[in-house]
Amino acid sequence: MFTKSIRWRMQLWLAFLLACILSGFGITAYQLHRTNQFSQIDEELERRVAALGGDVRRLPPFGLPPGRPPFDLERTTNADAFGFGEPPGHHPPDGGPGPGSRPPRRPGRDSKMLRGWPDDLWESREIRLSARTFSLFDQTETNDFYFAIWSRGGTLLRHSTNAPAGLPLPAREEADTRVHTRMRDANREAFQFTEIGDCVLAGRSIAADVQALRRYAWLLAAVGGAVLALGCGGGWLLASRALRPVEEISAAASRISAGNLSERINVTDTDNELGRLAGVLNSTFARLEAAFAQQKQFTADASHELRTPIAVLISEAQTALARERSAAEYRGTVEGCLETAQQMRRLTQSLLELARYDAGQEPIERRPVDLAEHARACVELIGPLARARGVQIHCDLALVEILGDADRLDQVLTNLLANAVHHNKDHGEVQVATRAQQGFAVVTVADTGPGISADDLPHVFERFYRADKSRARADERSGLGLAICKAIVDAHGGTIEVSSQPGAGATFVVQLPR
Amino acid sequence: MRVLLVEDEPRLLRSLAQALREEGYAVDTADAGDDGLYKAENYDYDAIVLDIMLPRLDGWGVLDRLRQRKQTPVLMLTARDATRDRVRGLDTGADDYLVKPFDLSELLARLRALIRRAAGQARSNVEVRDVVIDTRSRVVTRAGHPVALTAREYAILEYLALHRGEVVTRTALYEHLFDESDDTLSNLVDVHVFSIRKKLGAELIATRRGQGYCIES
Repeated sequence: MFTKSIRWRMQLWLAFLLACILSGFGITAYQLHRTNQFSQIDEELERRVAALGGDVRRLPPFGLPPGRPPFDLERTTNADAFGFGEPPGHHPPDGGPGPGSRPPRRPGRDSKMLRGWPDDLWESREIRLSARTFSLFDQTETNDFYFAIWSRGGTLLRHSTNAPAGLPLPAREEADTRVHTRMRDANREAFQFTEIGDCVLAGRSIAADVQALRRYAWLLAAVGGAVLALGCGGGWLLASRALRPVEEISAAASRISAGNLSERINVTDTDNELGRLAGVLNSTFARLEAAFAQQKQFTADASHELRTPIAVLISEAQTALARERSAAEYRGTVEGCLETAQQMRRLTQSLLELARYDAGQEPIERRPVDLAEHARACVELIGPLARARGVQIHCDLALVEILGDADRLDQVLTNLLANAVHHNKDHGEVQVATRAQQGFAVVTVADTGPGISADDLPHVFERFYRADKSRARADERSGLGLAICKAIVDAHGGTIEVSSQPGAGATFVVQLPR
Repeated sequence: MRVLLVEDEPRLLRSLAQALREEGYAVDTADAGDDGLYKAENYDYDAIVLDIMLPRLDGWGVLDRLRQRKQTPVLMLTARDATRDRVRGLDTGADDYLVKPFDLSELLARLRALIRRAAGQARSNVEVRDVVIDTRSRVVTRAGHPVALTAREYAILEYLALHRGEVVTRTALYEHLFDESDDTLSNLVDVHVFSIRKKLGAELIATRRGQGYCIES
């Protein structure tokens, strides 16, 4: 399933985030644009409503019979208050010129005054628009603004020719004289009620603006879609580039798990995270391969070491059985077989011991052990062998006690001593020393033999490793002695090391934690 | 037949040498690679049994150097049974390969086959007129009746029969039938040939004066 793939998941997340960001941007941009557009339209409309309102409120109302002054007329100072400062060329068709200044208007007093007009006259009065107002609705210049004026009784007193038919009178709430806007179909309209309840309305079809807004929205969507596509494409490329090393690593790892342990990940760039990962994996694979090779070598060596004595047994027995022999001959054969069998027993014991150390099953006792005392006992044990070769053993044993397994430590000491004697020259010397050093007990066994060559030095603790490839079988050495020493010392948490100068003997140093 | 046995495990060397001698082979032994190579280069063995793990010079090295000069049949003996090792052994020029531990009878059979093949003989029975030599059981019959031969007599007859049509010199017979530990004086070839003729008919082995003996093909 592709949702399992990191690349697809990254891709989906990227697309999701990009879509969120882009739609956020798009919606904000659209809203800003739309708000701006509408406030512009509303501002225009409000300007026109204000102009209309001014015209409607003009006193005295135009078209009322001049000879019939309403009551309270003395307050109406000037009946010609309509005509103010109109340029001569812009004389409104239904307005008359009027000299005089505009009277000061105070709404409270005006409304009181205006209400004095009888309703029938008021409802049928003529409204004259000032030249300025008229120019605001000039259809040759301002495309499609329209207006409508209702008297307080709801009579449509006047409207522009382009006003839509059946324009409804807006509803009034209380004595609200603020400018309101409304949407009616594709028309935006602003209206205002005067103090006495007349209503002026300016409107405009905004179909074109809505169309433009829609185009703008489509443009935004298209740009957003393109950016999303680009982003996803780029993300795919980036993810591919970023994941290619991962794919290489996975391919190499699967080849390795298929059994080809010498396979390595091809690291081109070692500095980035994946390069470092590949490096770490490569070194792990190398260690794995080395461990496998070592194990394989060990198995091959072990089988070799076991096959040879079996071959001897079979060969001896079959030769003996090939014909009638004397009792002495049979005895010789049986003795040979026994000796071989014992050699096999020693070998299998060593192998089993190593296997148990490998499996971590060999329990190590932790009891106080005086290494000096044990070294002395081991030296005595080796004594006959050393004397047979004329080798002198010198001891420099300082009391040093550790917690450990006495039998196993004896095994280490005996093995090192036997090695030192065996690999010594005739009438050579062996130095054994024990001492305490910074939390460690140190045992040193040095011989004066031919030493170990630099080539062999790193391998002496390997199983079945023999410095000279000839297996001196006569001395019954299995080639496992030092490997077992190392396993025991490791199990104690210590270290065993060897140093040697060819011709100047070898020195084994065992460090055990106290 | 004279074979060289190169093996560093002393007990195995001893018992194998004994078994081969008891089979009528003249056996030379070596317990190290360089020693074995020296002997292999200086004597014409009918076959060499060569261990791989040897001190000083291993079996591969011995085989490699020997093949530069001689085509003596070599049976490799080793405790390694990986296919890689076997292939390497055969590629290096070994004629056969035997993995330890092996049965003595198998070693002997392979050795016989090796020697037979080297002499250009595919079957284990060699027939000369009314005489049949069964190299497997080392039994000689004349007109269907078994004839008792001593080990020496059999060895000389077998060698001559395997090299039918060739003139075999007394020296060659001597070299191939007696090993380094044999006492020369007690093994006069002529005496044995005389004895064979007495048992199997005088016309079986022809004497080429001044050259040696021959069984006509």
